[in-house]
Amino acid sequence: MSAAGKNLPHDSAREHVTGEAIYVDDMPPARGELIVDFFWSPVAHGRIRALELERARSVPGVAALFTCHDLAHNRFGPSAEKDELLLAEDIVTFIGQPIVVIAAESREAIAAAKQAISMDIEPLPALFTIDEAKKHGSFIGAPRRISRGNLEAGFRQGEHVLEGTLSLGGVDQFYLESQAALVYPGESDALTIHSATQNPSEVQHVVADLLGLALNKVTVVTKRMGGAFGGKECQATHPAAMAALVAVKTKRPARIAYTKDDDMCVTGGRHPFQNDYKVAFTSDGTITALKVDLYSDGGAFADLSHAVLARAMAHAENAYFIPNIEINGRVCRTNHPPNTAMRGFGGPQGVVTMENVIQEIATVLKKDPLEIRMRNCYGIDERNTTPYGQVVANNMLPRLMREVAERADYARRVEAVADFNARSKTHLRGIACTPVKFGISFNTKFLNQANALVNVYLDGSVQVSTGATEMGQGVNTKIQQIVADELGIAADLVIVMATSTDKNNNTSATAASSGADLNGSAAADACRRIRARLAEVAAHELASRTEDLQASPSTLVFEEGFALDRRRPEHRISWHDLVNLAYLQRVSLGERGFYATQGIDWNAEKGKGAPFLYFTNGCAVSEVVIDRFTGTMRVLRADLLMDIGKSLNPGIDRGQIAGAYVMGMGWLTNEEKRFAESGELLTHSPTTYKIPNIQDLPQVFNVDWIENDTNTANIRSSKAVGEPPLLLAISIFCAAKHALSFVSGERIAKLDAPATGEEILRRLTEYRSAAHATSAVVA
Amino acid sequence: MRDFVQFLVNGREHQVRGRSVFKTLANYLREDAGATGTKVVCAEGDCGACTVLVRRRGEFAPVNSCILSVAQLDGTSIVTIEGIANGPSLHPVQQSMIDNHGSQCGYCTPGFVVAMADLAEGGPLDAQKVRAGLTGNLCRCTGYDSIIDAALKSDCSSTPRLCSRYGRVEDDGQSVLIEDGGRVYFAPVSIAEAIRFKSERARVTILNGGTDVGVWVNKRGFSAPATLSLTKIRALDDLSVEESAGQTQIVVGANVRLSAFQSFIEHRIPELHSILAIFGSPQIRNVGTLVGNIANASPIADTLPYLFVAGARIELAGTKGSRLVPIDRFYLGYKKLDLAQDEIVTRAFVPVVAASDVLKLYKVSRRTDLDISAFTAAIRMRQIDGRIAGATIAYGGVAPVVMRMPKVESFLKGKPVSIETFEAAGAIARQEVSPISDVRGSREYRLQLCENILSKFFFDAFTEAVPIDVPMDRRSSGRSSGGVTA
Repeated sequence: MSAAGKNLPHDSAREHVTGEAIYVDDMPPARGELIVDFFWSPVAHGRIRALELERARSVPGVAALFTCHDLAHNRFGPSAEKDELLLAEDIVTFIGQPIVVIAAESREAIAAAKQAISMDIEPLPALFTIDEAKKHGSFIGAPRRISRGNLEAGFRQGEHVLEGTLSLGGVDQFYLESQAALVYPGESDALTIHSATQNPSEVQHVVADLLGLALNKVTVVTKRMGGAFGGKECQATHPAAMAALVAVKTKRPARIAYTKDDDMCVTGGRHPFQNDYKVAFTSDGTITALKVDLYSDGGAFADLSHAVLARAMAHAENAYFIPNIEINGRVCRTNHPPNTAMRGFGGPQGVVTMENVIQEIATVLKKDPLEIRMRNCYGIDERNTTPYGQVVANNMLPRLMREVAERADYARRVEAVADFNARSKTHLRGIACTPVKFGISFNTKFLNQANALVNVYLDGSVQVSTGATEMGQGVNTKIQQIVADELGIAADLVIVMATSTDKNNNTSATAASSGADLNGSAAADACRRIRARLAEVAAHELASRTEDLQASPSTLVFEEGFALDRRRPEHRISWHDLVNLAYLQRVSLGERGFYATQGIDWNAEKGKGAPFLYFTNGCAVSEVVIDRFTGTMRVLRADLLMDIGKSLNPGIDRGQIAGAYVMGMGWLTNEEKRFAESGELLTHSPTTYKIPNIQDLPQVFNVDWIENDTNTANIRSSKAVGEPPLLLAISIFCAAKHALSFVSGERIAKLDAPATGEEILRRLTEYRSAAHATSAVVA
Repeated sequence: MRDFVQFLVNGREHQVRGRSVFKTLANYLREDAGATGTKVVCAEGDCGACTVLVRRRGEFAPVNSCILSVAQLDGTSIVTIEGIANGPSLHPVQQSMIDNHGSQCGYCTPGFVVAMADLAEGGPLDAQKVRAGLTGNLCRCTGYDSIIDAALKSDCSSTPRLCSRYGRVEDDGQSVLIEDGGRVYFAPVSIAEAIRFKSERARVTILNGGTDVGVWVNKRGFSAPATLSLTKIRALDDLSVEESAGQTQIVVGANVRLSAFQSFIEHRIPELHSILAIFGSPQIRNVGTLVGNIANASPIADTLPYLFVAGARIELAGTKGSRLVPIDRFYLGYKKLDLAQDEIVTRAFVPVVAASDVLKLYKVSRRTDLDISAFTAAIRMRQIDGRIAGATIAYGGVAPVVMRMPKVESFLKGKPVSIETFEAAGAIARQEVSPISDVRGSREYRLQLCENILSKFFFDAFTEAVPIDVPMDRRSSGRSSGGVTA
């Protein structure tokens, strides 16, 4: 029986529930270990006129202080700009930017050292919003465009035109384990770094570069993370590099672990966007033209902003065929911490803009939004090419929309909502059904590669190492299942090892939902090579034991712990015996596998190509209720239906879908970053920054997926699942707009994200006073 | 008198002296006891990752170990994540969390498992009980769905309970006095000792639940020169009902935890009970006290609006004896109290609002559960023949102290019970307050709430609501999750 498709528990589940799972800051202190922290910029933009560290150096317990002058290099970053500084030089560009690294024996000494640093800093004008950045022409990189058709002609064809702006706030990844790294200096200037990172190779590269070390001197190990959600794709490098600096300079182990408050203040999150749109459509709801201008707030450095914007642009049409379309994108440079990857990676900000447009078209035409969605949805054999030229193959979107609407009893509930709103004086309800089409593969082509190492031991047990990092998503378990199936053995014979750059080199971040796709495929490649060698051994062994059987490796199969010849299945050799036999015959029992995604291509300048191997799709119905007097909103019910191909692990995939939806709910409802006028973040802990609570999970919560075995391009016909379901929460935002449309009169109900109680109450109040004004005129 | 504190951790005795006494329990466990299963995320009692079980005189109860000081734990028995499994056999909730994919990254999991173990041992669960019991734990990975499943599918009926595996600590009846590095911590066993200690020092921090003080220590570098704990004073455990002059009132001693008070008033003051259900979290209510909520003097303290409209009185004890202060005269300004240097708050007298009055309490916050309020209100009203005979209104979150709304109250008196009356009252309420903008909400938002809450009250109190039924599934079950197939 195959392990893939089984509901195996997470490979660390037992350690999780007993508290035995070790995270970086749980590792016991080593002899002589130093605690590392940093002194950061208190102003959002300024020039350092003087920095005096002598008093801090003499604080008892302080081992050393370092500045940018102690680094071999200071510039790095994942984009071509390499515009990022580990430690500020003369100019600071955001509150929280590290200036001085402090190493001490105790937290008390660190706190005292921070107090003892004196700095004279001249504040400079700072930019905090997209509007301010646009006004001052403050951008990162060039503008980007994806377009197709004839926009002007499309606008002429439409009988209606509407335009507007949608503002989307930024959010924090809010992984529970804050950024952490532990660095052990070794012999001959080598370093071993335990880092809570999604990208051990990037930590290795940045540390080596900034400290002037050869890459082979730096080994980065990641056992697991307590959540990451994109926040540890690039920004785990900073703490690791600061601790590595201390370890190199002092020759002592060095540990850094941000507090939650510091982490939230100094690291970036999901990009805020402010998107202008103009759409033309016919009276039956067919969209004839769409122009969207996406502006993201990149913060002070480029980080991954270009890639995030590229994904936002490639998702701005979501599930709809729009013949004439122009999508423009620009990254704004502001004086916030650099925004970075977060689950969905721009996709959500693109898709919500499109769904917001659909919701408004429906209001104008007084039609059900689902009708508009169905009408414009990508076709199966025609009208199925994206604006950038990729064909939407094996399109399940129309089916998903139909099926989830049916399962959720959407049509009847739309009527029930209208009836409720007509009767209730105290509450408003709203409902929406929104699809998502999410492209899988890194937009950046070269990142779509992976390698794996598989070692078979003489008792038949197997170790697998890949570049995939385990952050809770269950990638280890999926790889364990893939390897078990490739070798035809039980899953409990397979262990997935901690990720380490000494076993897997030049790896890509575990990101873009691609961890199991890329690394699982590389592991399968390694297994196939081992299996081919073992098939030779087994074929000859079986032939030697069996009369009239010629050795035939090509008919050998590996299943349920045995190797057997398909032609004579009654004769077989156990996995354990075969492994030992191979060893005695001096046949290699280890292998390196490699995988590079085929058939993908992307030209960022032209905005054309087929950047995705396939699409993961889904559709959701959400219903909300809003208190008319307080604006407080609650999600009553959600029905989620996905197309995730053939699920590798139903329990893990279900958890990804449920968790992503709830995370998306936070983004669009109650998670709000508030800043002081100085640019200082005020919401830097869960007291003031409210991620969804257990009570926010809808009371009726249906999660399911359709059977679909057509995705043969990917490992075991599975589909990536980490990010796409986050976008299902856009149905909550659209449901809120639907609710407001019952009180907005002739106007289109407007809403920005996050739709907090305060934001909703502001809109309710606006519509109520408008209604009063109208009725006064009528009276 | 002892100069150390003693407690049990997973059944093993710990005696702690000196500096470590002033650590948080979470840091003590992780750094001194090497038990790193307990995680610290927010260090302010808002995420539950650090949840442990603590038993003093009653049953085990989940608490946040990140904001409790070791000093406070004298005489307790503590169970951490390391003590939940019984040797090699997992606790049923642990097995159920594995089987139902209740963990993803695992970082919140120890806190959930500890809270869930306590919850599941308490008897049969339904989804609502699970949600209420786990409100104090945040998870960023699962969306909670699988965690709820795990709790519902746990069966503890044939497993030895934690309370039988881990005993209670016999209280030796001794006061505790710890001095270290210029700091002093005192936990007397009598009120007289407590008053003497406080009267002899200029600055004394009174610590009972310490759910706010713990946050100051972690986040603001707060270090009290002198800390006075009332926990060991048995005379302050009083929780009882009194009838006097035809009025029922509840006597609440300074040591009474919010959770105990909450259960006690479930049927006596159901409105306040439902506010307490969204006050903090179980972990907070299991250590926080009603008297602490009163004495901390926050303008957004969730119990205060009720205490204002009910006419609660506060008992203060000092060197010259005791006195009673009506609660609306207790607050002199932001965090300023009518409390002399030698005085401590010993009890609160909480009247039960007569059933003939209409009473509604409101708490508005960004997130409904486990959130600090942006705005709170209590509205108490008596109507005779369709007219308002009298109204008492208190708002929180709109001024440095919780405030009564005399202009609105006098406007309402004698007016007909109608939406027009309450809309007009709302307009007056807007004029009567001057809230600030802060992280929890803008001035305009709060003004609008001040206005709207009166209309909301009208509909809630005097009209029949259209029920907000959850649209149920027509199919038998929408849940597609199954157990693990190993």
